[in-house]
Amino acid sequence: MAYPERVLVTKIGFDGHDRGSRVVAAYLRDAGMEVIYTPPWQEIKTVVKLAMQEDVDVVGVSSLATDHLIMPDLIAALRDADMDHVRLVVGGIIPQNEQPELMDAGVSAIFGPGATSEEIVETVRQLAVEARAARETAEVA
Amino acid sequence: MSKKASNTNAATLKDKQAEWKVRYDKEIGQDRTVINRSGIEVRPLYTPLDWSDSRYGEDLGMPGELPYTRGIYNTMHRGRTWTQRQLIGLGTPQDYNERVRMMLQQGASAISLIPCNSSFRGIDCDESPLPLLGTCGTVINTVDHMDAALDDVPIGEISTAMNDPTPFTLFAFLLSVAKRRGVPFDKITGTANQSDYISHFVANHMFYRLSQPGARRVFVDHVKFCREHVPNWNPVSVVGQHMQQAGATPAETMGLTLSTAIQYADDCIESGMDPDNFLPRFTFFFDISISFFEEVAKFRAGRRIWAKIVRERYGAKDPRSWRFKFHGQTSGVDLTQQQPLNNIARVAAQAIAGIFGGLQSMHTDGFDEAMACPTEDAARIAVATQNILREEAHLCDVIDPLGGSYYVESLTNEMEEKIFQVMDTIENAGGMYNAVDAGIVQRMIGKSALEYQSRIETGAEKVVGVNCYQSEVEDREVDTYRPSRDAMEAQVTAFKAFKAARKQADVDRALDELARAANGSENVYQKVVGAADNGVTHGEIIACLRRELGFGHPLMVA
Amino acid sequence: MSSYKKTRIEALAKRLRAGDPRALGRALTVVESGGDDALALTEALAGAFGEAHIVGFTGPPGAGKSTLLNALIHEWRREGRPVAVLAVDPVSPVSGGAVLGDRTRMGAHSLDDGVFIRSVSARGHLGGLCEAAHDMADIMDAAGWPLILIETVGAGQSETEITQVADLSVVISAPGLGDELQAIKAGILEIGDLLVVNKADRDDADETAKHLEAMLSLRSGAKRNISVLRVSATTGRGVSRLKDEINQLLETTGVAVGADRKRKRDARKLRLAVLRFASRISAGIPDEDFGSMRPEEFDRAIERSLAFLSTEIDD
Repeated sequence: MAYPERVLVTKIGFDGHDRGSRVVAAYLRDAGMEVIYTPPWQEIKTVVKLAMQEDVDVVGVSSLATDHLIMPDLIAALRDADMDHVRLVVGGIIPQNEQPELMDAGVSAIFGPGATSEEIVETVRQLAVEARAARETAEVA
Repeated sequence: MSKKASNTNAATLKDKQAEWKVRYDKEIGQDRTVINRSGIEVRPLYTPLDWSDSRYGEDLGMPGELPYTRGIYNTMHRGRTWTQRQLIGLGTPQDYNERVRMMLQQGASAISLIPCNSSFRGIDCDESPLPLLGTCGTVINTVDHMDAALDDVPIGEISTAMNDPTPFTLFAFLLSVAKRRGVPFDKITGTANQSDYISHFVANHMFYRLSQPGARRVFVDHVKFCREHVPNWNPVSVVGQHMQQAGATPAETMGLTLSTAIQYADDCIESGMDPDNFLPRFTFFFDISISFFEEVAKFRAGRRIWAKIVRERYGAKDPRSWRFKFHGQTSGVDLTQQQPLNNIARVAAQAIAGIFGGLQSMHTDGFDEAMACPTEDAARIAVATQNILREEAHLCDVIDPLGGSYYVESLTNEMEEKIFQVMDTIENAGGMYNAVDAGIVQRMIGKSALEYQSRIETGAEKVVGVNCYQSEVEDREVDTYRPSRDAMEAQVTAFKAFKAARKQADVDRALDELARAANGSENVYQKVVGAADNGVTHGEIIACLRRELGFGHPLMVA
Repeated sequence: MSSYKKTRIEALAKRLRAGDPRALGRALTVVESGGDDALALTEALAGAFGEAHIVGFTGPPGAGKSTLLNALIHEWRREGRPVAVLAVDPVSPVSGGAVLGDRTRMGAHSLDDGVFIRSVSARGHLGGLCEAAHDMADIMDAAGWPLILIETVGAGQSETEITQVADLSVVISAPGLGDELQAIKAGILEIGDLLVVNKADRDDADETAKHLEAMLSLRSGAKRNISVLRVSATTGRGVSRLKDEINQLLETTGVAVGADRKRKRDARKLRLAVLRFASRISAGIPDEDFGSMRPEEFDRAIERSLAFLSTEIDD
């Protein structure tokens, strides 16, 4: 890693409860990563912009209720902006039966309430490596 | 406590306890240190050496009188059971109406309405992504929606709680409906739950509604309006729930909440109101966690402290001003996604703590609370839980049954100390607004949240089904509530039609008046109510006030 | 450097000059990380620097810098002026990681294409925070952003040094922050071209402003006559005037600033390169930059450093 992992931690949709995402942001910071942390209620186009300006490797979305239902919109928006090298993770409460669809849509990992800080940090680290490799490939193309 | 016991020779007791300790230590071997969520050590045994009833008069007194530790009323639950006020919010107004009528049949004695998250964001249903509408609350953007939601519900006889922050459009719609039905305003009872924008700011991030000075202005105008026109409505509910859910310990929560209440009371006084005018209508709203005794102690201490504050700081003379009235909601944060039916047991334990804590009204969560809006089954069981505790466990028969317990009284005193410490921190920072500006509150909450999470990770804090007693068996799939897409689409279509069919001139004029009031000294809330009468929508009212009073700014503290 | 890498860097430089925001985000990371790629990118962009005005904002924590910056951006945007921002956040001393949340106070501009905000953590950048910020500002400059704001916490020496990167330094203070003398000790006041007292709606704001004015009178030279402006970022009072003051100061020193800044910039870069070079030699740490340098480049770097040092001595 030439420079620390850059991770955007955010909440899209309408829910404001961000205790979980704050805790995760602290985990990632304590693991040496740079976390761009946003308040809840981010619009999808804002998230794309942030990802671009901050040149992030991974975007972590916290969803406790139903905001994960608009993840496909975020994925599409990132693709449209040529940012689909960015890896996506979702954390929070996602009903079991709605998870496969999310993964199919392009989410790399889903963390439920039982996920440990270790798991989260390791996964994000890995995904950052993947993201950078993917970006390089894309740039050459 | 018998006279004999209270005359126990302290020296003899000390010896006896020392003897017991020796036996205890021998048997238990390696004892564990138990620290509750607020950081107070919990010992294995409490005796009159920790608290004796020689302190009864000073610490406890009788129910219904200072210091109010045992309860704010003379009869408490024995005279009148706590209000069963279940939070309801889902789908379309019609969905809400169906559910609320079912709940009233099942035994709920009051209702609570929570609007869709899009509403908290400040926008109408035609501006939201369709999949997010009605998933966590009911879509109510107009007076017609409110009318449909409360169809056949006697609003002049039942207490309603509106879960709505500034500028309280839901309440405005409710008043419009009351006008339509010929229900006089003095018959409207209930509470403006979620009126506490400071707690939203630090823990729930609903600050995008209005700028802080704007919210402050509307809050005070709303209190003034209600005191004058809707005298039996509680315009203020200071919310401890958000902070505790965000990670504050129970003691921190109570301290921060009381500090917030002080800030609002100061604002009301600054605007010229008399403390005995508005304080009787100040209420509180708390989470009830599963840290059973800690919660009981938290509430008892809070009651005692508030009575002290209103008399000493504000010189309130009316006993009604001294009463710490609160609504409790069993904490969803303690509930798990894993093995969801276990949550029924959790909710029962939390509810008992709330009852023993002396709450005035309660909401019990559905077992699927961790996942989604409660299904009918879950909602029914939640109300049944309260009925069982009342009718079968007879929890209403004795006032403050834990009063006098050596443990509970010691803990109440210790919690009080911790609460005062938090309040001092806020006071030294110059009050709640300043403390929030400086990030003190957010850091306090964040620190506690991180600490708690670490304890869960290390297993120091056990959660059944999550870090212990995990089940190999697949969790049975819990139905998650999703509103009917068709119904939602129809709702949005009807809403657009409603807007097209309105008298635009009336709408424009109402909005002009609202804007003018915002820039002048007229009561802004009066104009919000006027706007609701004229068919102005929720989103339009908020857009207008955001323009005139300022958009909320996020305050981020890492 | 391989030709493959060089091509990629040149392509990035091209996209950057063309205004591609994704390229700017990328380029900022490249120069922030230092190394071969950074040098190559800087070379590829040679000649594109020196157009932008850079304004530094610093001051003690709690003064309300971000909120004030947010309000100022509003003002510049009303003028139609595009603004780029470098928001420097403190770093965790323990892990070296950081939660960068400063930009959220400027969140109102997140959808405005005329505003570009980048968060920087005060981590252990090669050459120091000062150099990293300098390089990143240069990149924003090359990308065509005419006005670049750098905001730092102003809590330590390295943060105040950032203002050396700027054409103009605005120091923001506020009443009730405790010992004003502390601010003096940190050298903050010394570097200000403009002093601002935020939270002017407070009762003790006047006192704070007078205090600062008194301290200024103890200074010698041109920096005595700078203004102390009172503003309230939350109500907007005085913000427009502050913006006008900044615009004017940038204008009046405009021509000189452009050429002067180019010179200062080059001098700074050399100085930092020498310091870095020297510390590496003395520490015996193999440095990838220098490891890959060709002997001629190496010699030239030494020569330039020596030449610069001698001009400094002459001055």
